Amino acid sequence: MSARHYDLIVIGSGPAGQKAAVQAAKTGKTVALVEKDRELGGSCVQRGTIPSKTLRENALRVKNMRMNASIANFELAEDLELATLINRLEEVLAAHDVYMRKQMQRNGVELIHGRAHFISDTELAITTVRGEYAILTTQFFVIATGSYPRTPDNVEVDHEHIFDSDSILSMMYLPKSLTVLGGGVIASEYASIFQALGVKVTMVDKYPQPLGFLDEDLTAKFVHAFEHMGGKWVGNCMLERAFWNGFDAVVTTCTDGREFKSDKLLCAAGRLADVGDLNIENAGLELNARGLIDVDDNLRTRVPNIFAAGDVVGPPSLASASMEQGRRASCNALDIQVGEMHSLIPSGIYSIPELSSVGLSEKQAREKYGEVIVGAASFEEIARGQISGIQDGMLKIVCDAAGMKVLGVMIVAEGATELIHIGQMALIAQADVDIFVESIFNFPTLAEAYRVAALHVIGQRSQKKDCY
Amino acid sequence: MPTSTLISEKLQQRIVHDQLDVPMLPEVAGKVMRLTQDPDSESVDLARLIQSDQILAGKVMRAANSAAYSPNSSIVSLQQAITRLGMKLIAEIALSASISAEVFNTPGFESHITYRIKYSLATGLWAKEVARASRKNVEAAFLAGLMHDIGRPVAVQSVLQIARSMNVKIAKEDVLRIEDEYQQQIGLRVLEKWEMPSSVCHSLQYFHDYSTPHSAQVQTMIVVAGALITSHYMCEQEGDKPCLSLEELKSEAVFADLNLYPDQIDALLEKETAVNSAVEAMSA
Repeated sequence: MSARHYDLIVIGSGPAGQKAAVQAAKTGKTVALVEKDRELGGSCVQRGTIPSKTLRENALRVKNMRMNASIANFELAEDLELATLINRLEEVLAAHDVYMRKQMQRNGVELIHGRAHFISDTELAITTVRGEYAILTTQFFVIATGSYPRTPDNVEVDHEHIFDSDSILSMMYLPKSLTVLGGGVIASEYASIFQALGVKVTMVDKYPQPLGFLDEDLTAKFVHAFEHMGGKWVGNCMLERAFWNGFDAVVTTCTDGREFKSDKLLCAAGRLADVGDLNIENAGLELNARGLIDVDDNLRTRVPNIFAAGDVVGPPSLASASMEQGRRASCNALDIQVGEMHSLIPSGIYSIPELSSVGLSEKQAREKYGEVIVGAASFEEIARGQISGIQDGMLKIVCDAAGMKVLGVMIVAEGATELIHIGQMALIAQADVDIFVESIFNFPTLAEAYRVAALHVIGQRSQKKDCY
Repeated sequence: MPTSTLISEKLQQRIVHDQLDVPMLPEVAGKVMRLTQDPDSESVDLARLIQSDQILAGKVMRAANSAAYSPNSSIVSLQQAITRLGMKLIAEIALSASISAEVFNTPGFESHITYRIKYSLATGLWAKEVARASRKNVEAAFLAGLMHDIGRPVAVQSVLQIARSMNVKIAKEDVLRIEDEYQQQIGLRVLEKWEMPSSVCHSLQYFHDYSTPHSAQVQTMIVVAGALITSHYMCEQEGDKPCLSLEELKSEAVFADLNLYPDQIDALLEKETAVNSAVEAMSA
């Protein structure tokens, strides 16, 4: 069997793989992009980010209509098919697939549909879905195979009663009740989305608060908003078992004896690097203790000609960061100079309400610098917040001890993932907090919260000066 | 003009003029479907409903007590069966039990109809497994699979009715040929009258041409895959010709279109024993 040779082979067509392939092809190299699924885009496009956001848009509409029930006399049909709530998804995915294929074609990237298995650090075997076999050789690899949902041994996922984050949207009808296992980003997003749709949601996790990487005052706002919609947060539950009882409910039990029953369950217990079929050991690679591929600052693995990017290398596991990692992995492989990768990546949590942060949290800043000054603004005090009925919104600016340099911004409110970019620009420009007071924003907008929080910082700064 | 051609023409007219004698979806089955989609319904409502039809209640109890569902204990009441097996499963059992050969008036073709209904039931159960393997909608797959062949008994019933009204005899092979030719058109009419979800109708409409884009395309592929697996195993069991061999089955394009790799197909086919016991239990 004769092998086909490429300058660079990318495995996986998610955000990281796509950018890696295009970047390499743009330099005139021969590039193959191997994808095991029929559709391009990986979990981000097909099962995660885009589908859940499509559902979220409709959940928000439902929530808003319920809030304005007196105007619309709105009630959600009892046997509403889930497909109705993600009705535009097929169009969105088809459009994305066409766009991606055209982009690959335009750049001369060869798309290969099949499973990849390493033979050595320069050879890759491909098995197609029809069982055909081919061998590819290359000088460089970029592994961008993404991740798949982790299923703990004590959770019996059957995709009929107990789902994971890749299969949850295949439910036919909205269930009456749903237990969400986990307190991370995916768990918080789906829990709040389904609760907004009127499903009785119970979130169960081992930690006392969800989203532990954010400051407690922000997560408290999220929990309050979630419970205000009718959801229930159950913290400090060490999971004993979650199972379909075979007749009428999914049962979740904690080791302390607490038990919860629901129609369906979503297990969102993190994600693992999706390298199961790759036989990475044949290339001289291995997974680390966290089930991820180790890379250095240049995204190079321990095998010099193999790079990795995206979810397979671990946090931040954001599509935005993965794209940049993919691009850089190719540049580094092909010895193309790239600037230093900005560590300032905003994180966005598309729950209801949204949460977003950039830079250091208050907790991180205190750990790093000791003393800090924090300014906060509640969206209830902002005209636009009042108009939009935002009850649980908050914006926080964390500054250094002098109350000058901005160290981080955190927001919880609808629109947080857009609003955060103002703070990000200030951080990149290393601007003083005063920039938010001296600049004029549109009125009425939620951006006014920056000004209020900045004034809060400046007030504390002045008081501090007076003390001296 | 040969008798069979005449009958075909009359059947076509009945379809076009919406004059088919479509049996009502047994009332209980319709109610069971609605009840299980109502989030406020309770198991006691379902028990009461099934109990209202003695024959159905008997079939559900037989299935619930079968080795497939209750290997270790004996179920003595419907309420207990529902509590133990769940509303969804009992509803599936009730629905498949409702669509039995007795519903259709097909003298001389009873065993053929029983075979076709068993084939549909197996397709529904295999479709569930295909859906699970593909991480697609498991709940919808059973109903779509069960209903994909519903036009066949109605076609046979209609052909025999027309022959009777014309006072002519029709050869068995002609009945089966007309059944093959018209079953899809008739099936769509039946599903329409039974007010089945649009995705179920689409799965039948595009069954022979699933690659045409339509809103239930994946579900249609799942049903096609379920039907192919069923035709392989049922064929082996019933001795029909020609049989789809295991190798031919595995190389069917629909599996590749569902992105199921050879090892995943092998894992899927390992469910044979479980699916067969469920078929036996539900068609007992």
